[in-house]
Amino acid sequence: ARDQTWVCSDASSSPILLSLRRGQATVTYAQSLLGAPETRLTALDNGLRIASEETGHSTCTVGLWIGCGSRYETEKNNGAGFFLEHMAFKGTKKHTQMALEQQVESMGAHLSAYTSREHTAYYMKTLAKDLPKAVELLSEVVQSNALSEADIEQQRSVVLRELEEVEGSLQDVCLDLLHATAFQGTPLGHSVLGPSQNARTLSRQDLVDFIKSHYKAPRMVLAAAGGVTHEELVGLAKQHFSGVSFEYEDDAVPVLSPCRFSGSEIRMRDDDMPLAHIAIAVEGASAASPDIVPLMVANSIIGSYDITFGGGKHLSSRLARLASEESLCHSFQAFHSSYSDTGLLGIYFVTDKHHIDDMMHWSQNAWMNLCTTVTESDVARAKNALKASLVGQLDGTTPKCDDIGRHVLNYGRRIPLAEWDARIDAVTPRMVRDVCSKYIYDKCPAVSAVGPVEQLPDYNRMRSAMYWLRF
Amino acid sequence: MLSLAARSGALSPYLQATNVAVNGSVKALLPGAVKGDSLLKSSSKKAPAISACVSAPGGIRMAHTDIKVPDFSDYRRPELLDPKKSSQESSESRKTFSYLVTGATAVVGVYTAKTVATQFISSMSASADVLAMSKIEVKLGEIPEGKNMTFKWRGKPLFIRHRTEKEIATEEAVDMAMLRDPQHDKDRVANPKWIIVIGVCTHLGCVPIANAGDYGGYYCPCHGSHYDASGRIRKGPAPLNLEVPYYEFPDDDTVVVG
Repeated sequence: ARDQTWVCSDASSSPILLSLRRGQATVTYAQSLLGAPETRLTALDNGLRIASEETGHSTCTVGLWIGCGSRYETEKNNGAGFFLEHMAFKGTKKHTQMALEQQVESMGAHLSAYTSREHTAYYMKTLAKDLPKAVELLSEVVQSNALSEADIEQQRSVVLRELEEVEGSLQDVCLDLLHATAFQGTPLGHSVLGPSQNARTLSRQDLVDFIKSHYKAPRMVLAAAGGVTHEELVGLAKQHFSGVSFEYEDDAVPVLSPCRFSGSEIRMRDDDMPLAHIAIAVEGASAASPDIVPLMVANSIIGSYDITFGGGKHLSSRLARLASEESLCHSFQAFHSSYSDTGLLGIYFVTDKHHIDDMMHWSQNAWMNLCTTVTESDVARAKNALKASLVGQLDGTTPKCDDIGRHVLNYGRRIPLAEWDARIDAVTPRMVRDVCSKYIYDKCPAVSAVGPVEQLPDYNRMRSAMYWLRF
Repeated sequence: MLSLAARSGALSPYLQATNVAVNGSVKALLPGAVKGDSLLKSSSKKAPAISACVSAPGGIRMAHTDIKVPDFSDYRRPELLDPKKSSQESSESRKTFSYLVTGATAVVGVYTAKTVATQFISSMSASADVLAMSKIEVKLGEIPEGKNMTFKWRGKPLFIRHRTEKEIATEEAVDMAMLRDPQHDKDRVANPKWIIVIGVCTHLGCVPIANAGDYGGYYCPCHGSHYDASGRIRKGPAPLNLEVPYYEFPDDDTVVVG
């Protein structure tokens, strides 16, 4: 039973100040976990899955999540998915670009898309009552894109311009290079953006072929979150998406082969840059692996840091404390990018050219601590932080919808918060140590460095720091 | 790229393509060229963009996605040549191999280092010619029975005496209790026929005279020490028996002392 609390303007008689629940939230954590409505999942005959969470908001986010990305591209058409994303909103067979934009704008909706290495998403944020129109427009964008030659030529320069601009986002450059070196020679090494040569030479036929080979119903999920009913959504899907093909030409179903991880490094040294961006990573766990949760807890132990943090020497992460007290870096974060059969578990940091050696040393020291001496209090703190961030990220219809789409593609179902919570609770320090030793201890890392990186230690030194002789 | 820019002086802003990222504005490759066209220039017109950098190694890279990681297949281990196979499976065996080879090399290396160090240090010890001087080889056939021969060995006189049967019997029969420095004759000779001692009196270092003294052995004239045919002190001020050096008989006719 929930307490009814209300605030009166007259503070002296305000019940909230007198109630026993003063200073507490009205909803407990357990209630917030269990109170989330269940995500319902159905499938059409052609294999397209529909998943939705009815939250009762007056807005909704609905979108199509497709299991294709740069990992499915070859050297020759690397960048096709990204190019296609650019072409997506340039008009369909039924609506010209102007007409499409006008339809979207008049609803007051936001239409966007993203492409990653294994997923592509087209989604729309709109009022709940505009769901039918939204699904119709989305189905057009995905199935009957105009792909006019003129637009393609025009988008080339836009893509090239975007390639130039992304050079300024050094975090993206660094992490792209990390993938390129860690998964060298494999499709996961491709950047989503593709090389500039491909941006100049991709033709309409390449894009059409790409759509034909990858936009298939069994690999698509129509996800929605907000004030939508599942039945209505299924009806709309049947109406608009029944025609999506589920057969491949020559029965050539693209199967993802495993991608080899290579311990290696890439250094893009430029002493004119003010800060160095460095990432070090080992091969991590796949999205569906049971080791995901202990690794997430381990990353929470290391945490993240920014020079604007005010905690100083009272920050809970040991690495953050050191970073703050010794001015080791401007920022760092522990990350884990997981794909369907592999992953990258690493630490990314930004620092000036005189602290690279120290920062790398202490980062690897933090890893060694995870493998050997992580304590009960570390794990307890990390579990709380992780739970808080998992719950806190889902604070709107769009993050929820994204969560639904990605989960159904990765796991075949939506993993509810209560399940995450239970799995996080099951993590013990021994488990963290064992799992981290399995992935980190004495493994060859992949390193990428951009900027004034003269001080970055030699690869053999960094490799030697992946184990401790004292053990 | 950087060294080239430093050397080219006035042209440096136009040759540093990476400056683009830092300043956020595109530096034109040629003065007067339109801003923002750098990537496009090379697609539409070849000459202007590329000629400015014809001396730069490999031309100018525009996007980080153009960087191609080289193919290192020539250097990879066989288990890792296939990019479609996960590297985790072979990880154990690769590490074991590497560590075994490292361990074995370390053992061999330590042994080699020890050997080299020993050789260098032992080179400071006595050389072969000095060591050779430390030994003396004597032909026993030249020493008749009953005769004592003196040789210079390690700067000291060396007495080799060919003893008669009578002398041997006498010396073996001597009672230990009577000796100042009790030693049985058997303990002082390897072959009873030959007594080999250093001819330095144990009193104050004079050289005893052979076939002299009351005991059929040696007599030191300095202070009157009498030694017997086994070189043991019998009478006089000397405290110890004559020193018996190390010797061996490579064959019946030769002795090597030292």
